Amino acid sequence: MKFDPRSKLVLVFSFSSLAVFVKDIFLLLIVLLLSFLTSNYFKGDWSFLKRIKKFIILFLGIAFLQSIFAPAGESLLTISGLPILTLGGLAKGIRVILRMMIIIVSATIMRGSSSREIIQALVQWKIPYEIAFMVSLAIRFLPILRDEAKDVFTAIQLRGIEVEELSLYKRFKVYSYLFMPVLSGVIYRARELSTSIESRGFRAYPERTSYIKLRLSLKDYILMITSMLFTLIILILYFI
Amino acid sequence: MQENYNKAFLKANNISFSYKKGELLLKDITASFYKGEFVAIIGPNGSGKTTFGKILSGILSVDTGKIYVDSVNIENISLGKIGKKIGYLFQEPERQLFAPTVREEIAFAHSFMGKTKEFIDNKVSEMIEIFSLQGLENASPYKISRGERQRVALAAILTNEPSYLILDEPTTGLDSKRKGKLAEFLYELKKQDLGLAVISHDKDFIVENADRVLKISGGVINEV
Repeated sequence: MKFDPRSKLVLVFSFSSLAVFVKDIFLLLIVLLLSFLTSNYFKGDWSFLKRIKKFIILFLGIAFLQSIFAPAGESLLTISGLPILTLGGLAKGIRVILRMMIIIVSATIMRGSSSREIIQALVQWKIPYEIAFMVSLAIRFLPILRDEAKDVFTAIQLRGIEVEELSLYKRFKVYSYLFMPVLSGVIYRARELSTSIESRGFRAYPERTSYIKLRLSLKDYILMITSMLFTLIILILYFI
Repeated sequence: MQENYNKAFLKANNISFSYKKGELLLKDITASFYKGEFVAIIGPNGSGKTTFGKILSGILSVDTGKIYVDSVNIENISLGKIGKKIGYLFQEPERQLFAPTVREEIAFAHSFMGKTKEFIDNKVSEMIEIFSLQGLENASPYKISRGERQRVALAAILTNEPSYLILDEPTTGLDSKRKGKLAEFLYELKKQDLGLAVISHDKDFIVENADRVLKISGGVINEV
């Protein structure tokens, strides 16, 4: 069953809103589970799970920092009288991880819709075409930027730099070299792209017509209303 | 034959590689590469030449088989260690330039290895002269021509004094005069016992310079 990208956007927005407003860990876990199930229904691309494996240390680091700098409740680990790990701090860290997971998983719901359909959805929501187009371009170019950064990092290592053996300071210095080529690539590509799209008549006329027209069907309305109601009910029950 | 094979600096033993599961791009390839030799790797577009070059330099890992660099299994060495032995020139040189100036680009590896300023300055000056980059020392590598960028990339690789060089389409964007200069320079490197594997479509350049030609087609490699 194919859904309109607008109804899916509403669904993503609902899950993300719950992730932001809900503080209860158990409830966040339920929202995460629901977003997983929904993503599965919409045939979301879960290959990202493999990729975020690399970020587990970062997630754990964020959780740990949260725990240190926002201590609360019973102390679990104390060094020289200083609470390093507290129950409240740990809960905050877990919350951050769950929120990030919900936002990432719910975003995979959009997988089944092409970038053109997403632009059209935004345009039909009266968002100016230029802005919708920019959003889709940004999404389109993210994997390219990632590949470029990877290539530069490989090139740095192939200059005989054994990154794993460098001191932390030098390691950061190496990473700082990644910005320059990626940034220059972005500027270069933006210039080329703007010339290319202008030569194809982008914004040549004030009114823009579109071959694709999205139409909301009954199931889209049901999905949108259900997800909005579900979010509202949870938030009302949660905050009252 | 076996004795000769053992002397190879770079060896690919029955390697297979695929980007997508079940679709082998390279099938059971065995090849050897020697120091002091110019090997050309040719083949149609999409045949896997660049992939093969990336496998030989440790950028990509094989599905099956083994790669040996100087008799050491490539799986057991880091990219950094491989980089000290093998220099790899990317098809798009801008992908391997990352420093704000040409001078810094060439000096990069040595400055990270803690070499003295005097050593680095001498090395940079030497490379600037060899690659005719005078006047571009303080220029951004992104604001010079493609040919110049390629020379900067080569200079940056060669400051490490690798034993083997893998060059991916090094003649792209070069006029006949520059191609001639590149050929001369590669010949000089070969004389100094450096091994060269050049991935190229440039038939004339290959015919004039290669000692051996390997053709990749349909996933297999053959000497032609």
